[in-house]
Amino acid sequence: MRRADLQLLTAVLPTSLAFTREHLRAPLTLVLLIAIPVFFVLIFASILGDFAKALGGTLAAQSATAISAGWAAAFLSGTLAFFQVSSSRGADRRLSAAGLGPWRVSGARISAALAIGLTVSAVAFLTLLLRSGIGHPLHAAVAIASFAVIYIGLGALIGAFVKGALEGSLLIVFLFSVDAFSSPEMTSNGSFAWTPTRSAANLLIAAGGGQGSPGADWLGMAAVAAGSIAVALGAFWFAARTRA
Amino acid sequence: MVARTRSAAVMAFRDQRRRPLVLIVLVLLPAYVITKSIAETLSTPKQLSLPGGVVVTTTMKELHGAGMGGVVIAFAAALLGVFVMQSALQGDRRLVVAGYRPGETVIARLGVLATATAIVVAVSALVTALNFTPASWGPLLAGLVLLGLIYAGIGALAGALLDSLAATYLMLFLVFTDLGVVQSPMFRDAPGTGAFLLPGYGPSRVMYDGAFSPSFGAGAELALSIGWLALVGAAVYFVLRRAVGSADA
Repeated sequence: MRRADLQLLTAVLPTSLAFTREHLRAPLTLVLLIAIPVFFVLIFASILGDFAKALGGTLAAQSATAISAGWAAAFLSGTLAFFQVSSSRGADRRLSAAGLGPWRVSGARISAALAIGLTVSAVAFLTLLLRSGIGHPLHAAVAIASFAVIYIGLGALIGAFVKGALEGSLLIVFLFSVDAFSSPEMTSNGSFAWTPTRSAANLLIAAGGGQGSPGADWLGMAAVAAGSIAVALGAFWFAARTRA
Repeated sequence: MVARTRSAAVMAFRDQRRRPLVLIVLVLLPAYVITKSIAETLSTPKQLSLPGGVVVTTTMKELHGAGMGGVVIAFAAALLGVFVMQSALQGDRRLVVAGYRPGETVIARLGVLATATAIVVAVSALVTALNFTPASWGPLLAGLVLLGLIYAGIGALAGALLDSLAATYLMLFLVFTDLGVVQSPMFRDAPGTGAFLLPGYGPSRVMYDGAFSPSFGAGAELALSIGWLALVGAAVYFVLRRAVGSADA
């Protein structure tokens, strides 16, 4: 490892750990981060199939169980990323001005968001695995993590431009509603088929039903997830940069 | 006292007016969710048990028309409660230090919360009316208003006692569980045995009674809802008054 890389790591790692602790210091937040994915998978899984049927969709029970894990990871990670940007703007600017710089602050922020997002995804995945088993566990794990990563990008983007916690959290609920209603196989209406989690949802539904996915879904999901990380990094940088 | 309460209320409303995005999302969210869910739902037959033991046969589409407004109102009102309360905790302590009585600032904030909830209820009722014709508007509207006020109060309590992230997670979790699953007639004909313990039971039963029954049969559920509202309202007043008044110490 080069000296410059090592210096960057020693600066970012403790800050990232501090950012993670900052969000987990309220015990109830930690409890909810674990309880909500478990609850989503166990309870909503059994009703999502009925809900999809009511909307004219074809989502089978096992696929519905799988997609509920993705949505839980998405919603929790998106809300977290929004609050990371919106509530820490002042502190991040001070950290940046004190010598850490906006890129290192944004690196620490995104690694904290990814650490929590991936933990939530792991809880959702394990619940899914224990509840109903998964035909393609690796596919499902990657797809659930992608849901989390994509929503980290969306939450951070909203946080960069919307300062108020009320309007930001309402926007996340709105975005989540649009995404959920437009999810593949949830409705008989195929319009509005370009929502960010579409490829991840296709992959997760297929994995839940024990089937593989075409390369196009993998490529689509990877592109959107990579784009989301870039967007989140930019949003964290935008919030942390010092203004003249 | 009235003049100072009015000034505090005007300032609190001005604070909200500076954020037009709140109003836009408060209109957009119910309009989208209600319209989309009714438009997308199929007219599959569904049996529903109303208060008083009346059983009606309706469709899943009609059920969404009757109930989706309540779910959206509860979500939006709960988040309004969380963040209006947190604004109050930040700003109103300063007003108390400057000489206001805690009760005066609390009444002003509760006025803002009730007005914002009324906007969400009005938009939701309007969008519902464009897509669904209830058997009786009175109980349906009463159910929507009660759901909004009760959840706004619960959100305000969460906002006072928890940090933003935990309060947001908790409110969304509670609304999903209560109205999205336990009280929802989409998944069973009538709410299960423990459903009455949750705050959404009374208002949602009143709401569905108004939606599908021309004669009112949900008196006990209405009384239960009013009890919840009184309890939550008193708790919010007490907690907020104590929180802003702690600046005296």
